[in-house]
Amino acid sequence: MRMDDLLQEFIAETQETLEALAGEVVAWEADPSDRDRLDAIFRFFHTVKGSCGFLNLPRFERLSHAAEDVLSDLRSGQRSPDPATVNAVLGVMDRIGELAEAVAIGAALPDENDDLLIGALSADAHSNSVPETDAVAAPAPEQRVRQGGAQAVPRTIRLPLSLIDQLMNGVSDMVLARNELSRQLRERSGDPELESAFERLSTCVADMRDAISKTRMQRVDRLFTAIPRMVRDLGRELGKRIDLTLEGGDVEMDREMVEMVVDPLTHIVRNSIDHGIETPERRRALGKPEVGMLKLEARQSGNQIVIEVSDDGQGIDTQRLVEKAVLAETLTRDAANRMSEAERLELIFHPGLSTAQQITAISGRGVGMDVVRANVERIGGVISLDNQPGRGLRIILRVPLTLTIIPGLIVRAGGLHFAMPRAAVVEILHDNNAMLRIAEVAGAKIATIRSVRHSMVDLEDVLGMEKLPQSGPRSIMVVRSGTGVPFAMGVAAVENHEELVIRPASPLIMASGVYAGMTLPDNGKPMLLLDAAGLANAADLPNVADDCAQRHIEEDEMNAAAVEMIPALRFEELSGERRLIQLSVIERVEDIDTASFGRSGSRAFVRLDGGLVPVVNGVHSFGAATVSALRIRDGAREACYPVAAVLDIIDMPLVPDMVAMHGVLSGVSVIEGEHLEVINPFALFAGLPGESVPEQARGRCVLADGDDGWTREILAPLLRQAGHEVVLGLPAGEPVDPLDVVLSSGPDLSQAAEILGCRVVHLRASPRPSGPQDGSIYRYDQDALMAAIAGVGR
Amino acid sequence: MDQLYLLATLAGTKVAVDAHEVEAVVRLADVSPVPGMAAHVAGLSALRSRVLTIIDVPALIRGTATSVEKRGYAIIADISGHSYGLVVDAVHDICQVADGGLPLRGQLDPAWTPYARAIVEHEEQPYLVVSLVSFIETGPLAQAA
Repeated sequence: MRMDDLLQEFIAETQETLEALAGEVVAWEADPSDRDRLDAIFRFFHTVKGSCGFLNLPRFERLSHAAEDVLSDLRSGQRSPDPATVNAVLGVMDRIGELAEAVAIGAALPDENDDLLIGALSADAHSNSVPETDAVAAPAPEQRVRQGGAQAVPRTIRLPLSLIDQLMNGVSDMVLARNELSRQLRERSGDPELESAFERLSTCVADMRDAISKTRMQRVDRLFTAIPRMVRDLGRELGKRIDLTLEGGDVEMDREMVEMVVDPLTHIVRNSIDHGIETPERRRALGKPEVGMLKLEARQSGNQIVIEVSDDGQGIDTQRLVEKAVLAETLTRDAANRMSEAERLELIFHPGLSTAQQITAISGRGVGMDVVRANVERIGGVISLDNQPGRGLRIILRVPLTLTIIPGLIVRAGGLHFAMPRAAVVEILHDNNAMLRIAEVAGAKIATIRSVRHSMVDLEDVLGMEKLPQSGPRSIMVVRSGTGVPFAMGVAAVENHEELVIRPASPLIMASGVYAGMTLPDNGKPMLLLDAAGLANAADLPNVADDCAQRHIEEDEMNAAAVEMIPALRFEELSGERRLIQLSVIERVEDIDTASFGRSGSRAFVRLDGGLVPVVNGVHSFGAATVSALRIRDGAREACYPVAAVLDIIDMPLVPDMVAMHGVLSGVSVIEGEHLEVINPFALFAGLPGESVPEQARGRCVLADGDDGWTREILAPLLRQAGHEVVLGLPAGEPVDPLDVVLSSGPDLSQAAEILGCRVVHLRASPRPSGPQDGSIYRYDQDALMAAIAGVGR
Repeated sequence: MDQLYLLATLAGTKVAVDAHEVEAVVRLADVSPVPGMAAHVAGLSALRSRVLTIIDVPALIRGTATSVEKRGYAIIADISGHSYGLVVDAVHDICQVADGGLPLRGQLDPAWTPYARAIVEHEEQPYLVVSLVSFIETGPLAQAA
């Protein structure tokens, strides 16, 4: 290995460790008795010292040597970690970081005050009794950081990103080859051995694809590393005391995504400390604990990462926001009076408005929440606020798991298919919908939806395609771009919604401005992703919104008639998606022992209250001992729907915002800014096996040949399992219910039963009927048998 | 130094392309059109898991799009990180040319001037040396500007 390589390696390692340590140092300061963290910091300086002696980096060596000495005194207890010492150690760490940066880019190393830093370290070493230095004369704000314990560093290697991309491409090729092979196999006759070998290969390829995608993932920890230090420094600067909690650092997201979220997140945290959390004096006066609470929490929800930043500060004063907006003449007093609280809160995202009474050096630098929102939306994310004036603010960021996979709608126009980011689509209607009116004046199209007027364009016109004749109605999408006002766009049809792997299109195509990327679906035909804002630009639509407040008044008046809301349960699927199901079909929610689940053939069942109930999503094995399940019922039939978590009950529109029948889904509704798929209960029950419905009104199965071994050992258990009540032998002296079904292998008995008025199913032992008159059923033909019993029962 | 050239016919003209620029030559399969683009952007085509932007080079030269049946082969090239397929009439050979590039002589059709760099001779026939990058970069950017 060449010296240069060694140096690069050293710099990269140092920078990485520094980043990871930033949080540890603050935690250690908060709890100086934490030996693990002290050791971690000591090890860092020790490693730096060792490597730089070898690499001939004298400045690194001096700094790390001095820090190591002090830390070693701390370890042996000869010295206590007072704030001055911690500051000095942090100063040295920062300097090492600067030096590493300088070496990495080959810049000159400013050499003025290494001595000062080292002096600060050693001065304290010899003067335990000397009072604190001026730098920290202010009362040192208390800092406490809780993190999930010191983390063991996993073993890792360094790889160029291009290699991973190459691997990713290779695997994508493999998936396509597999799809092609699978198509060819389907066309040829099925050889079970070949098919099972192919299945195995298929699973391997899928696993591999998952594993490779994980290489692009990074723990959210990385996003959090800089936060404790920032909170500490800002708190000191502003004289505020903050208790920081970080949670969910082990959630993983795409590394590019991490990069994109750092800035908005940093800004939000700065805002919280600067404008949200009050000074200790003020908090005391307000009767709050002196130490402010700041909490960062990350979790995965379906294919989104949710990052919440909450504080217990003063929240946003919406009245002040409104005053500012009126003063700035972006809002009329009249309109302001009509605004709802949520709309007033929205003003925080308007450029140039801030509730901060004075501009501070921390966050009042002209970068406002408008920029934060723009940055979050650029990566397909959503930002929302939960404001409790006087009690705190919670800011929720929802960003996609990766930059490259987005939920999209497949639309058809001019005979071609295009993808549209689902987040950009507010609503979809057919053009024959009564709520929609389309008018045309001098070539301009205006779509009025529930008395809100939108500019309207047809996708074919924007792209210069021919509009093909079609029999059904066209679809109108209300599209919201990141910047402009919503507009209506007509397409031939909205065909499907699916997760799309987006890749950049060539500059040639991007230059047109209407495309945001492309995707290669399984059918191997490339498809372009439309850019909502670009389309609005290309169509040259005027950027005027209808008076928002006016609309709300009208909406309120006609709300009852326009959108009928029904209660729905919001839940999380085992696969992670969040979905809605109408509450009325749910009988109850309970935790079920996973041992009760089982499988018969391709169907999953669960044993509940002594009977077998079908499992709608076919899941029968679980990781945990119990699973939450929805018990659903359509009046007669019952089914079980195991889910990952039941979230809450909300109101959803009776008709989903976007109707797209697809499997068990009826469409997508937007609830509180979140796109949720809505379960179609009809499809759910329609997909259930028919014979396993014990609740249907029907009689017993009377097995006439109760003494026969086959009847007793094979037929009876089968019928019981299917939910029938079984009686062995003709009941003696007991009346036979007309609903009862008699199963018989002998002709004599069946005649007798027929006389009794109930129906008979004849069974025979041979696969073939004895003649054309033979109405009997082969006794191993289960489907026919079940159908006969069910049919007879009706 | 001898250099490898791909010899092809492009818009009825014999051309040579530096083999370093060429990644592969494929027979064109399905091309999904991209509406709203200049005529020479024929569309997108999938080559295994890669998506190629297909450039109808004859359209760039002559101004009229090549009909779908006439699009025979495409030269695959990777230009600044994106994959392109450039439509050609026919591909003849890959061979070494002894003398290397010769200066352009005679009056060149103005349609070719943005793309031609030199001339090579192979079996006593002149071939126009064209750069694939120029088809991507001069064409569209000049029109987009």
